[in-house]
Amino acid sequence: MKNRARLFRVKDPFDTQTTDGLFMDAMRENCRFQYHHCGEYRSILKDRQFDPESLVETGDLASLPFLPTLLFKNHWLYSIPEHRMLIKATSSGTGGRFSRIGFECGGLYCGLKMVLRIGRWRGLFSPRPAHYILMGYQPHRGNQTAVTKTAFGATLFTPALSRSYVLRYGNGGYAVDMDGVIGAIRRHSGSRFPMRLMGFPSYTYFLLREMETRGIQVKLKEGSKILLGGGWKQFITERVDKSVLYELAHRVLGIEETDIVEFFGAVEHPILYCDCERHHFHIPAYSRVIIRDVHTLEPVGNGQIGLVNLLTPMVAAAPLLSVMTDDLGILHDGGDCGCGIASPYLEIVGRIGLKEIKTCAAGAAELLTGRQA
Amino acid sequence: MILAKGKLYDSGEQGSILVSLEEEINETRRDGSLSAETVVSAVTELGRRIEDGAFGDRIAALAIDGIEEYVRTAARLLRRENIEYKLLTELGSNFLQPRMAVPPYDHPGITAVPMPLGTLFHIAAGNVDGLPAFSVAEGLLTGNVNILKLPQADNGLSVEIFQQLIAIEPELAAYIYVFDTPSADLAAMRKMAEMADGIVVWGGDAAVAAVRQWAPIGARLIEWGHRLSFAYIAGYEDKEAELTALSEHILSTRQLLCSSCQTIFLDTDKAEDLYDFCGEFLPYMERAALRFPAGTPAAAAEVTLRRYTNRLERVLSGEESDGRQVFQGRGSSLTACTDSELELSDLFGNGLVKCLPREQLFAALRRHKGVLQTAGLLCPADQRAFFTGLLARAGVTRITRAGTMSSSFSGEAHDGEYALRRYIRMVDVES
Repeated sequence: MKNRARLFRVKDPFDTQTTDGLFMDAMRENCRFQYHHCGEYRSILKDRQFDPESLVETGDLASLPFLPTLLFKNHWLYSIPEHRMLIKATSSGTGGRFSRIGFECGGLYCGLKMVLRIGRWRGLFSPRPAHYILMGYQPHRGNQTAVTKTAFGATLFTPALSRSYVLRYGNGGYAVDMDGVIGAIRRHSGSRFPMRLMGFPSYTYFLLREMETRGIQVKLKEGSKILLGGGWKQFITERVDKSVLYELAHRVLGIEETDIVEFFGAVEHPILYCDCERHHFHIPAYSRVIIRDVHTLEPVGNGQIGLVNLLTPMVAAAPLLSVMTDDLGILHDGGDCGCGIASPYLEIVGRIGLKEIKTCAAGAAELLTGRQA
Repeated sequence: MILAKGKLYDSGEQGSILVSLEEEINETRRDGSLSAETVVSAVTELGRRIEDGAFGDRIAALAIDGIEEYVRTAARLLRRENIEYKLLTELGSNFLQPRMAVPPYDHPGITAVPMPLGTLFHIAAGNVDGLPAFSVAEGLLTGNVNILKLPQADNGLSVEIFQQLIAIEPELAAYIYVFDTPSADLAAMRKMAEMADGIVVWGGDAAVAAVRQWAPIGARLIEWGHRLSFAYIAGYEDKEAELTALSEHILSTRQLLCSSCQTIFLDTDKAEDLYDFCGEFLPYMERAALRFPAGTPAAAAEVTLRRYTNRLERVLSGEESDGRQVFQGRGSSLTACTDSELELSDLFGNGLVKCLPREQLFAALRRHKGVLQTAGLLCPADQRAFFTGLLARAGVTRITRAGTMSSSFSGEAHDGEYALRRYIRMVDVES
């Protein structure tokens, strides 16, 4: 996978303009590999009469068959022997089922370079130690979720003096420990080192709201940050505007908006999307995004809403080349952001779903809820 | 929330209420009876109050598209004329009066006395708004004591309706018990079933099968399951009007009703006819989709993605290509299929089209006898009687024109049966 290695060596992590040729070379190379090493992927490509060699120009990406994340929940798809997978991770399983994906050394190495490059650009690394408040899961043998693994990984961005978790493991399960976390914040706010809060935006918001209700205000040391990632999950109905969260963080912790960084990614598309200073998710050089019409699945233009299809040649161990998420989004021209990055940026506007559909047609309820009879 | 004898109780009191329930019901049934007229008056008054805006806030909070029309329809069905018409059609005139009969060959005279079945245990489903109340109302009209298990997704409206009804006619209090027992609480459900003479179960195959598993032998099972409907096209009287009506039926019901057209059968065995029809009908579907959009982008995306995923699943399961060809339109689609089975569509304006020559119609429908409901029949006028007879003999329970597959009217049979008759038993008394 020489082309993949070259793509992940590109200096500017947001150079999607001059890397198109390289990106296509890497996609073709990976597609060829998947075709020969993953029987399921091969049969899907054959069904759609798609030849990996036909991936030449950017426009060809749209006709590469994409795999919905649901498919990874139903099947374990892989292209290398299990013993060569260094890491196996699962999605969070919001709907009760989760994807299982293996990663090989080469892909992880690419991922590491990506994280280093993007982290450096966003100023996430520092030799100065910090206290970590994790608004997510405490790692545990039984927890294979990627969100837990990456959250722990992110505590290595600076030397960690301490780690406190809001979802603590004990007695065979996770329990929310808001008091423990608030105690840790009060304790460490007196320290001469900065603090980093990171994890789910939902729990972070609940924490800040709780602190405000209890009248607790602290001023964190300079260099402190809030890192958000993992989405709102089951708390989607309590989701608040980013600006609400930013103002609350400023009131309660004295953190400026510029020190709040948001990520998103998925185990089925392990690219690190990190927001710019204007809090937009620009597409990095390592991936491409196609927004597809909700009826016809044909690509739509920038500015139009549709299904979010994410593409990357990063992983060899599984056919993750073109993955369809359950998200609805809009791709905006990079120039509309104003931060200076030319690459287009992705706005997630919602999730697919049939809310409260009522039916009396035989078998329809099972079809709608995915419980195939 | 539990409603018993007109009083509200906390769900936690279910156990103690159940202990004395049988005795209470026995008292009610031993000492009295409920006349249809009492129920008709109360229900009519309830309909009047709904028309005057009772529950207005509650109904508005449901935030359902087109709710005003829905409420108007409901209120209309609750008018005295419609309820009396329902009683008359389903039970016949004076059916509830004892009737003298003299069997032939000098047999002594008999008086046939219609009686309520007794106690009905309704296991309601959440798939139709107002269904729990409707089911109990049918039980009341026939004089039964009703125990209702609310569906999980109930929004509290049912209990409010019954409270209002009891306020109008306090005599009804002893005939209505409502429990919010979760379906997993099998012990409580069994207890209720053991007191019942009839178990009225609404829902899909899974719900009905579950009840069959544990229902006591002594109770009559009255199952209102889910159904499938289809259109049969053997020609036209007015092609453009009929195809327009069919497409609007499909898109406006979003194929979610028992009576919604899922599969369109063509009276032909030629594959070309199938493809020609799809090509010709698709523009009608697209026009109807503009008039009746299938919902939000989130809903449309879910359906589209599900169909795409199903196709990949078929590939992965190694199934032979089923030869289906999709005619994708905007906001709708038609799939030309090579088989002739009645089948659930992908819903939301995604119809299936299949060949089914008239010679094979009967046998093909018999294979789906448990789920047959409405047939929308499109054919030349002079063949209408022929096809109507054929479809009726094959087991469908309603035969309509293209656009009226889902129209409802007072006194219609429910999946081929007059529901009220099932809630009644006859007592023959020798003179």
